[in-house]
Amino acid sequence: MIQPQTHLNVADNSGARELMCIRIIGTSNRRYAHIGDVIVAVIKEVVPNMPLERSEVIRAVIVRTCKEFKRDNGMIIRYDDNAAVIIDQEGNPKGTRIFGAIVRELRQLNFTKIVSLAPEVL
Amino acid sequence: MLAALRSRALLHHSSSSSFSNLQQWKLGFLGLERTRSSSSIESNKATELLNLQEIEQILSDVKADDIRVIPVRQHCDFMVIATGRSTWHVKNIAQALIYKAKQKQKGAQRISLPSVEGQEGGKWVVIDSGTVIVHALDEKARAYYNLESLWTTETSPKEPSSQELENAFVKIRPKNNSKKSVQMSS
Repeated sequence: MIQPQTHLNVADNSGARELMCIRIIGTSNRRYAHIGDVIVAVIKEVVPNMPLERSEVIRAVIVRTCKEFKRDNGMIIRYDDNAAVIIDQEGNPKGTRIFGAIVRELRQLNFTKIVSLAPEVL
Repeated sequence: MLAALRSRALLHHSSSSSFSNLQQWKLGFLGLERTRSSSSIESNKATELLNLQEIEQILSDVKADDIRVIPVRQHCDFMVIATGRSTWHVKNIAQALIYKAKQKQKGAQRISLPSVEGQEGGKWVVIDSGTVIVHALDEKARAYYNLESLWTTETSPKEPSSQELENAFVKIRPKNNSKKSVQMSS
């Protein structure tokens, strides 16, 4: 459950460290974003000497949420953190590697690029 | 429950070919169960969207450079990486593959197409046909993302089997570690 003002970790090596959600892409007046949703976010914290800067506005895909994610077969997946991957307008990820485990459903949601960069797919 | 799903998928397969395509998609995404049951893979091979030989043939026809096929055990069977000379060339590689998938299913009641991602940009187009994922990149993107090194150097991308996952999700009653009760009993 990501809403505007939620702080998220960054799960890639793009150079940002922390994001803050400012808008959820999709229908208007949408309350919460879940795994696989695209959000507009602002960069709150960066790694030094990297191309991205603080207070830059970017798009990101949510890959991990503390709110549990349910599968049809009854499996429930819940992570310890909220994390997102920075993408550009075309959907290409900004970083070249993704950290941590991500869910397989991202492939069905047309984020195959992110899935193919990830080290572990649940 | 998984076993029931699988048997249903097989049943559908035998009853009608157009249905089995859809089922195969679902099977491909379920992934975990596919790795466990080899019988369903073999029966699905006949009705695959695009198989590896066809993809290689098409890629050499459209003159894609530097084609590499990497067997991946994690979420699909093979990953094919190819380079295009320009954004137009990359887009054309994707178009050729889609065209082939359409041609292959000509006359079927329901045509299922591979999912394509990033076709507007043309820097990195992914054609995901279930068991084989084709990445068509331009030269810059290929050097930037360096997909080969990710998939070839990683020696043991051990997939957690569904059994392991289920075990991990079992609720565990917290152990009573307090020393008080031990002293009381002794």
